[in-house]
Amino acid sequence: MSAVLRAPRYAGIGLVWAWRVTFGVLFPTTCKYEPSCSEYAIQAVRAHGIVKGGALAGWRLLRCNPWSHGGHDPVR
Amino acid sequence: MMHLIATTIPILTPIFHALEGVMKHVLNFFHLNVGLPWAWSIVATTVLVRMLLVPLTIKQIHSMQSLQLHAPEMKRIQQKYKNDKQKQNEELMKFYRENKINPAASCLPMLLQLPVFIALYYTLKHFNANFLCTTAATSGLTKAGGPNAACQAVVAHTNLSFLHFIPSIAVGTTVFWGGYVLLLVYVASQMASGLFMAPTAQRSQRILFMIMPLVFVFVIARFPAGLVLYWVTTNLWTVGQGLVTRRLVQRTPAPAPERRSSRTPPQEDEGTSDNGTSPEPSAPAPAPAATGRPRQVRRKKSSGRRR
Repeated sequence: MSAVLRAPRYAGIGLVWAWRVTFGVLFPTTCKYEPSCSEYAIQAVRAHGIVKGGALAGWRLLRCNPWSHGGHDPVR
Repeated sequence: MMHLIATTIPILTPIFHALEGVMKHVLNFFHLNVGLPWAWSIVATTVLVRMLLVPLTIKQIHSMQSLQLHAPEMKRIQQKYKNDKQKQNEELMKFYRENKINPAASCLPMLLQLPVFIALYYTLKHFNANFLCTTAATSGLTKAGGPNAACQAVVAHTNLSFLHFIPSIAVGTTVFWGGYVLLLVYVASQMASGLFMAPTAQRSQRILFMIMPLVFVFVIARFPAGLVLYWVTTNLWTVGQGLVTRRLVQRTPAPAPERRSSRTPPQEDEGTSDNGTSPEPSAPAPAPAATGRPRQVRRKKSSGRRR
């Protein structure tokens, strides 16, 4: 895949990293899922691109609520 | 990296603007309708936000109670995979899922606090324009020396202080000496809340939570003092909530065999020390100490996992 087509993915991963080094540390928490939400987002965007991967990450964040059970939940 | 943030910000601008509008109304409500000073309006807003998030934490308390119930089994898993941290984590996660418990905090409640933070940041950044230098506030003063002078006059006559040590919540924390006190309180509260927010974190992660406030205090020092006030308040709420949660969890009956096995040995030791009078006075003494020490360690560990 060309670098131009990959650019949105890197942008998305960059955003996750921006989150990690700022608010991620300011509101410390451990995720109930494995991999964690941010790691999941990176993997999803890397594997499926910014649109589908972003949607997957968003859905994962919604699932990461107090009523879910957490656990092992890798990107498919 | 800077370019990346710059390209994404135009998309977010209308969202941030909308958040600022909502926050403006909330702060105005507490200041004008409730009659609180500006600084206390921020505290009230923070408390309101955290109260809205309480239903999410009740679920968390239930989860911790069941976590305590399953503590012995989990300890067995930890022992089994002592040398393989990754495997140990996976097995624990599997165990949580099988028994329908979730010890770790969810990402969503934490994420819900971010919009509040952003809203408050922009509201305080544009504090004068939002509240003090509106046309309504300066209308009576415009004749004196133009809108700018009128604005200055309103700002000078508005009480923006907090507990006498912070003169203004709308300026940076390092402008006044009281700001340094606030920053110090921030660091302490952030460390304390880090302990309560991430009970299942590993040791390395916990150390990170202790160090990060010391790094971030330099970033936060540039923020308006009101934002640091929000942060301190929300941290203190986290700590208080954690203490209450711990209390409630401890009230539930702990697994009986665990406690009894740790309590009986010292009693036996007392019996032997009474029998053996003179020959070995020093021998029984270390025995209770030896049984006492692991018990303390166990208690520390379990209380750490409980939350």
